Amino acid sequence: MTTAEQHTAESPESSESSESSESSESPGSSIAFTATLVLLVGAALFGRRVFAGWFTDDGIRTWATMFVGVTVQALPFLVLGVLLSAALTAFVPASFFAKALPKHPALAVPVASASGVVLPGCECASVPVSAALMNRGVTPAAAIAFLLSAPAINPVVLASTAVAFPGQPKVVVARAVTSLAVSMILGWLWLLTGKGGSWLKMPKNRHAHDDPKFDVFRSAMLHDFLHAGGFLVVGAAAAATLNVVVPRAWLDHVAGNLLLSVVILGLLAVLLAICSEADAFVAASLTQFSLTARLAFMVVGPIVDVKLIALQTGTFGPKFAVRFAPATFVVALLASLLIGWWLF
Amino acid sequence: MVVVLKRNVAGLVIVFVGAAMVQLTTSGTYLRYVKPGMRWMLLAAGVVLIALAVTDVVVRSRQTHDHGLPRAAWLLLVPVFALLVVDPPALGADAAQRQSPVAAKPAKPAEPQGNAYWGDESHGPKPIAVRDYSVWAVWEKETMQGRSFQLTGFVTPAKNGVWYVTRIGLTCCVADGTAFMVEARGHAAPPKNQWIMVTGKWAEPTKRVDGDVAALTVDTVKPVTAPVNPYE
Repeated sequence: MTTAEQHTAESPESSESSESSESSESPGSSIAFTATLVLLVGAALFGRRVFAGWFTDDGIRTWATMFVGVTVQALPFLVLGVLLSAALTAFVPASFFAKALPKHPALAVPVASASGVVLPGCECASVPVSAALMNRGVTPAAAIAFLLSAPAINPVVLASTAVAFPGQPKVVVARAVTSLAVSMILGWLWLLTGKGGSWLKMPKNRHAHDDPKFDVFRSAMLHDFLHAGGFLVVGAAAAATLNVVVPRAWLDHVAGNLLLSVVILGLLAVLLAICSEADAFVAASLTQFSLTARLAFMVVGPIVDVKLIALQTGTFGPKFAVRFAPATFVVALLASLLIGWWLF
Repeated sequence: MVVVLKRNVAGLVIVFVGAAMVQLTTSGTYLRYVKPGMRWMLLAAGVVLIALAVTDVVVRSRQTHDHGLPRAAWLLLVPVFALLVVDPPALGADAAQRQSPVAAKPAKPAEPQGNAYWGDESHGPKPIAVRDYSVWAVWEKETMQGRSFQLTGFVTPAKNGVWYVTRIGLTCCVADGTAFMVEARGHAAPPKNQWIMVTGKWAEPTKRVDGDVAALTVDTVKPVTAPVNPYE
């Protein structure tokens, strides 16, 4: 595979130069196609027979169930996300966002945060959508605010929180207020520190403007799905491993200390990578913890978890992810403590 | 080792991922991994992916240029292989053993129903979800005392011959699976992961350091086949 180095997705420009010389019918590509096809069909037909007796350990099987489960649960949301982001890229002119958002970036942040209400779904959907927003010329600060608020304050998530905490509407209010505040703070924080920084890999518009709109849509969706899907798999593997390895029993020893319990439940949310529509029910079951600690669990979960860190690494680059994830985590914990102290 | 992904191979990967999702939905296997409510979303996502790959092949045959595609996409084959080769089962005793059998206090205490709630006993033991029994037996003692119940779940063995009738509760997918466990007394443990239907009387919960565990004094144990949806 001598052309492998030139043909990476991370450097679409470099592939531009060679694309005309590489037709899809080149011999290397048809060998790869045949090999993949044979491998997959072979696995489908004989996989279980050949590997029978290999994966019998209970722990490994539980891990495999978790891994497939997290992937299967997240894929429909990822498909929804890339569908929306491809539609934004192909059919919504950049001038629309320029008109819809306030000119000043500091004012665009709260507007973007509040518009997170309209994207119902898990956190996986919001990563490609916010990448598409940046692509369309929306200021990164506003796109980041949207990225953080959409999975946390959409109606589905708030409704499931209300169901999980019956008779305690203030939990829903606290969750919405805290998540909104965190998304705005991080948007503004980006304006203060990250503006001009080189560590955000700006998602590039790979397509010429004169391409037919449907072709742009199709290409963007194919590319985004393959890219984000690969990173989602990494995240699902990490979440499955932590789910199986981390014993839940040690939670009981820290429940008494407010500060420690907030940190521990925040970390648990990062490690378990539970879908934002479901985390309220898990939080409700952690009855040995204070409401503030459980609020931290629900605020952190939709915005920082191992699955999301993998997706963000893929979409915005590793340099962005190593700064963004810890910053988000710390701001989320501080905001939860403050709002918890005020409301509960 | 990293092999570049050509567009036709990418199409193949997407078709297999989409086909795996459609197969999971139509065969009912998806119930091992997610809630029944996800069914139509899974099916729609699978169909969208297959349509995406097919239109790409059809349209691309009229075009000449070929973009390099993300290498990370190869990873999408890992879950497909996991499904084809390992055939991961629904969560069972192994997952339950990793959790505490203690029943969490309900978020909102139910209205005390009183013992009369169950009606007369002439119809035999009342069928009840393991999820409900594990909580009510600890937090609604007055309602449960002296009554007979019928539970369906799988066997989770623990130390010293103790075993639990278990169901896993899902909210969204297996990542949030919570084990609901009822200690079965007065009967030797059936094999691990065996699905059973037990009848028995409410018993005083077992005290543990981390809380109380629901218990049942077993009268009968009958092996049954696993339900279509193994979760509650």
